[in-house]
Amino acid sequence: MNKHSTSQDRPSERAAAFSRRHFLRGLGACLALPAFESLQPLKALGALAPAGKLAATATGAPLRTAFIFFPNGAVPDAWWPEKTGADFAFSPTLQGLEDMRSHVQVMGELDHLCALPGADGGGDHARGNAVYLTGVRIKKSASDVHAGVSIDQVMARQVGHLTRLPSLELSCDNDHKSSACDSNYACAYQYNLSWSSPTSPVTPESNPRLAFERMFGVGKPGERWANTQRIEAEQRSILDFVLDDAHRLNRQLAARDRDKLDQYLTGVREIETRIQNAGRFGPAKDPDMATPSGVPTSYGEYVQLMYDLMWLAFQTDSTRLATFCLAHDGDNRSFGEIGIFEGHHDLSHHQNKPERVKKVQEIDAWYVKQFAKFLKKMEATKDIDGNSLLHNSMIVYGAGNADGNRHTHNNLPIVLAGAGGGTLRPGRYIKQNSQPMTNLFLSLADRMSLTGLERFGDSTGRLKDV
Amino acid sequence: MAACLGISAAARAADGARVFHKQIQPMLVQYCGDCHLDGMKKGNVSLDDFKTDRDALTNKDLWAMVLKNVRGNIMPPPKKEQPTAAERERLVQWIKFDVFGIDPRNIDPGRVTVRRLNRVEYRNTIRDLTGVDFDTDSEFPPDDTGYGFDDIGEVLNLSPMLLEKYLDAANRIVAQAVPAQSRVMPEKILPGRAFHATNAPGSEAWGNLSLSYYDPALVVNSFHAEHAGHYQVAVDLTANERYVEDQFDANKCRLIVRIDGKEVGRYEYGRESGQPFHYDYAQDWTAGDHQVALEIEPLTHEKQIRSLTLRLVSATIHGPADAQYWVEPPNYRRFFPKIVPADAAARHIYAREILGDFASKAFRRPADAETVERLTALAENRAQEPGATFEAGISHAFVAILASPRFLYRQEHAASTQATPFIDEYSLASRLSYFLWSTMPDAELMSLAAAGKLRAGLDNQVQRMLADPKAAALAKNFTGQWLQARDIDIVAVDPRTILSSQEKKDPHAEEMRAQFREFAAKDHLTAEEKEKFNKLREGFRKTFGRFNLQFDYDLRTAMRQEVELYFSHIVHEDRSVLDFLQSDYTFLNERLARHYGLTNLNVTGSQMRLVKLPADSPRGGVLTMGGVLAVTSNPTRTSPVKRGLFVLDNILGNPPPPAPPNIPALEDIEKGAHDHDLTLRETLAIHREKPVCASCHNHMDPLGLAMENFNALGMWREHDHGEPIDCTGTLLSGESFQSPRELKQILVANHHLEFYRTLTEKLLTYALGRGLEPQDTETVDQIVDQMEKANGRFSALLGGVIHSIPFQKTRQSPLLGGPETAMTKEKS
Repeated sequence: MNKHSTSQDRPSERAAAFSRRHFLRGLGACLALPAFESLQPLKALGALAPAGKLAATATGAPLRTAFIFFPNGAVPDAWWPEKTGADFAFSPTLQGLEDMRSHVQVMGELDHLCALPGADGGGDHARGNAVYLTGVRIKKSASDVHAGVSIDQVMARQVGHLTRLPSLELSCDNDHKSSACDSNYACAYQYNLSWSSPTSPVTPESNPRLAFERMFGVGKPGERWANTQRIEAEQRSILDFVLDDAHRLNRQLAARDRDKLDQYLTGVREIETRIQNAGRFGPAKDPDMATPSGVPTSYGEYVQLMYDLMWLAFQTDSTRLATFCLAHDGDNRSFGEIGIFEGHHDLSHHQNKPERVKKVQEIDAWYVKQFAKFLKKMEATKDIDGNSLLHNSMIVYGAGNADGNRHTHNNLPIVLAGAGGGTLRPGRYIKQNSQPMTNLFLSLADRMSLTGLERFGDSTGRLKDV
Repeated sequence: MAACLGISAAARAADGARVFHKQIQPMLVQYCGDCHLDGMKKGNVSLDDFKTDRDALTNKDLWAMVLKNVRGNIMPPPKKEQPTAAERERLVQWIKFDVFGIDPRNIDPGRVTVRRLNRVEYRNTIRDLTGVDFDTDSEFPPDDTGYGFDDIGEVLNLSPMLLEKYLDAANRIVAQAVPAQSRVMPEKILPGRAFHATNAPGSEAWGNLSLSYYDPALVVNSFHAEHAGHYQVAVDLTANERYVEDQFDANKCRLIVRIDGKEVGRYEYGRESGQPFHYDYAQDWTAGDHQVALEIEPLTHEKQIRSLTLRLVSATIHGPADAQYWVEPPNYRRFFPKIVPADAAARHIYAREILGDFASKAFRRPADAETVERLTALAENRAQEPGATFEAGISHAFVAILASPRFLYRQEHAASTQATPFIDEYSLASRLSYFLWSTMPDAELMSLAAAGKLRAGLDNQVQRMLADPKAAALAKNFTGQWLQARDIDIVAVDPRTILSSQEKKDPHAEEMRAQFREFAAKDHLTAEEKEKFNKLREGFRKTFGRFNLQFDYDLRTAMRQEVELYFSHIVHEDRSVLDFLQSDYTFLNERLARHYGLTNLNVTGSQMRLVKLPADSPRGGVLTMGGVLAVTSNPTRTSPVKRGLFVLDNILGNPPPPAPPNIPALEDIEKGAHDHDLTLRETLAIHREKPVCASCHNHMDPLGLAMENFNALGMWREHDHGEPIDCTGTLLSGESFQSPRELKQILVANHHLEFYRTLTEKLLTYALGRGLEPQDTETVDQIVDQMEKANGRFSALLGGVIHSIPFQKTRQSPLLGGPETAMTKEKS
């Protein structure tokens, strides 16, 4: 038999149902001790920044932005609240947010018209993903990938230098199907939300262990910073060689190949910058908890673990920008834990059969509940200015399709959580009168004090009321 | 030169237009006019919507579609008047030569974008280069795919995060593989399986030993110390469980470790979810035998649910500590063939030798002198640091080599400065090796390339490579993607729903399920609700007991292996590729045979083997393999649409256009027919009544419905929801069938050329690492001709691909490497 193992010979990490419990043991300790010194945002930076500073609140605390994506849209009737304004009544799907009512804005009538078929035909799932944070029309091709820089990466370019990681990209799509992707769109469109250039998607981290190690270093608590320093020293010592090697190779390559090598060169430069900047931040936080050791078998645990990592990243001010793709659009996972064994995508084309609609709605609500748990943690954690982490955050939760059954892209199901350090007005349901989603992005970018960003994607302005 | 090309292209265009008016248009009028001319655009296809001749001749997409449909006998439809073979051929030739601009005497090889090693290739290359098995599945993110494969240069991106992982991986791999000293403390590993209930020294067993939480056990092994001295004993184990959805196991056990009868450690374990544990014990030993014993004590007697086990990986004896007994590290000679010279100049030469050799292997072509010099400098600088050794310096340079873009990317060079030169021999060695083995070229390929003799002896090398166990990579990675066999491991299926839904719908059960979901969705249940909930759950367990089939790792693995072994069989026996469509054999083990209901073939045990199928078996061929049937299903039911699409995509090579963006309101039509629940077949029939759906679904659905006798688990069934299965159908090309067997026969008899072409396209795409373009049509046609002459033998396909111009050559672009680029040539 074949002894050469490839992706099929699943190693230990697969069956790691373990991790979350161990991990949470550690987290619990942190939660119980909000003033736990080593998890406070860095003092170096934490010397409160003056108002109007990049990615900072008026009180000088860090201001974070996150974009969360859930697959296959949501059943519209069950999603939208009854009344607009402050005395809205939550719909069945959003019911899970009731406790967080005063911290969220349900955003109606935001559109992603670039995700419409236009002349490109089928492929609403590929577009649902790739347009979500880019707001541009993506090129229909199986190999010649072209989207746009995503809003989180636009922000990262200006505020990324403030934190150890310019941005954090997470996903729960650990297994990619092997066949071609949606309607002859390259798979890169459906598995990536973040794009650092129109041709370079930013691959998200789907292994909780690797995401944790990226933030805090490898090894046991107490050893991680030393390990990080050792690894960085090793990296630094070969960067000159590989950079030179890349330049020499570049001279031998054709234009198309150079684009590929440019990605390598960009990577080297980013690592150099990160290492150079590391000195400014002092030792990385070293949470007193075991490193999660792989991908949990249960999807619910997996999702919560990734949310925990985002929460930890914000709490330690490791980054101010995060994206999280819960599952790519068109995802066909089943939800045995809530008694739904059909595939999500299969169900989402429900043909208005009440039984199927109900199941889709239950899945939508399940996702909302996971989100609500995350928000509760964010709210329960104190930031350096005494406000909650959630208060000092702007968290967009939404999808790239509105009605998954019909593949519509207007009136997208969007929730904006957090108060943006007091600059947002949560606690209501507001309709935005059919504006592009990208207008919301610009409004958030303004709050991050980004400069020079007149337009983004298909934007037509800023949201007046957010 | 450029001007010259311009004239001939213009002349050819004029020629193409003339043929279009004289020969092609009359044919279109006669055979296609009713639906596709004069404003008729059935299926949104119009064959006269051109403003100019140029418009007509440059619309490659349109004519590529015409080519596919005419060759597949889909157009004109079977009921309409048919063109003669000669007429068809004339149209084909015009499309190939005039529209696509192919010059059969001078085929354009196309360009392959430089390829980054994908996860599989990286892992295999590292294994061959260093001996380390680096788990890229856990360490690297999944690769993006294009055209259905994960080796397509254009879509293999490199994000900064991945580069960082590569740097980190380089460090870890070198640290693991390359000794940093010439002498180390001796180390003896006693693998878990070498531990026994009674002392059995010298056991050759290897692997982990599983110890149950629930049963008391004592296992021992011993070690003979040659010398008295200080030793360290390290025990490594993991605490595991077998996952059972939503159910936990609260049992605990205790482990007691004794060395020479003296207790040195005592530990307790609960549910640890695969965590590793490592314990060290310092010992001062006399010369002679010493015993390590591990004892398990169950601590609880709760219900056993998850099968908790302690897995003893090994006990490792380090020592003696005294440096005079130290030994050469294992693996030392692999990287350091000689003793390190004491003399600095000789050491410099030795370092250069080692690094030149390793870099040339890693870069898959000779490393230039300048690079070797720089690597040597890197090594020497490191070796001069306090506490560092010569070996540590070399290791450091190895890290740089593994982080270099020349290792991570497969750059190719031209053998000459012609417009469409052969790729050089080193590039050819890599293309072959990554194609057939998914790894770097071995020493023989490299030395042939160095001598310039690889191309001349190509067929012998291909034979040798196919006979090598590494060729299993082709079966695994090609079928893994062409037939989606990789997805078998991850496809979501719910056996209970699938099996129970074959019976008549039970409204009572439906109601119970709905209630269960309602409770499950609630965060807090009252005591009363909790009790109800548990009752429901218990009830399900009982009713579902009948359907207690686990679609587990063993079954999935057997299904995947069936596909891979079947492919390898066709390769090694050089059988006709039509065996992929139909045969009287397959590969089974006991589990899979039982799954298929083939219980009377005397297939026992877990070993997969070649099995001759009974004469009336519906199996044989990939379309009726469990794995393929499962990955083309939804989690709870079959999907005739997905299955049909799979056949069109991967067998007939005529995928329909993507589904329309706005799914039409199927429900509206369906409302009228709601006196009973529609069967899948009825739903699809209504679907096909809508014109916008019909054009594609008439094509897909019959192919999928033909497989309805196989449920979503790939098992044979006679009923769905209590109704007998109807799998009859008629293909768009006109043939009718009564059973999956008949469909397979039709495919073999009438559609084998389409299958040859599809398989050729897939294999060529995989081999080249780029999508095929219209210009490749002639190459594919030539290979299909060769296959037809050779009765479909696999060797004709493989030889055809390897000898093809796109595989052998490249299109020179101004800056493609080589000793002298076309650009510099022009300037001179």
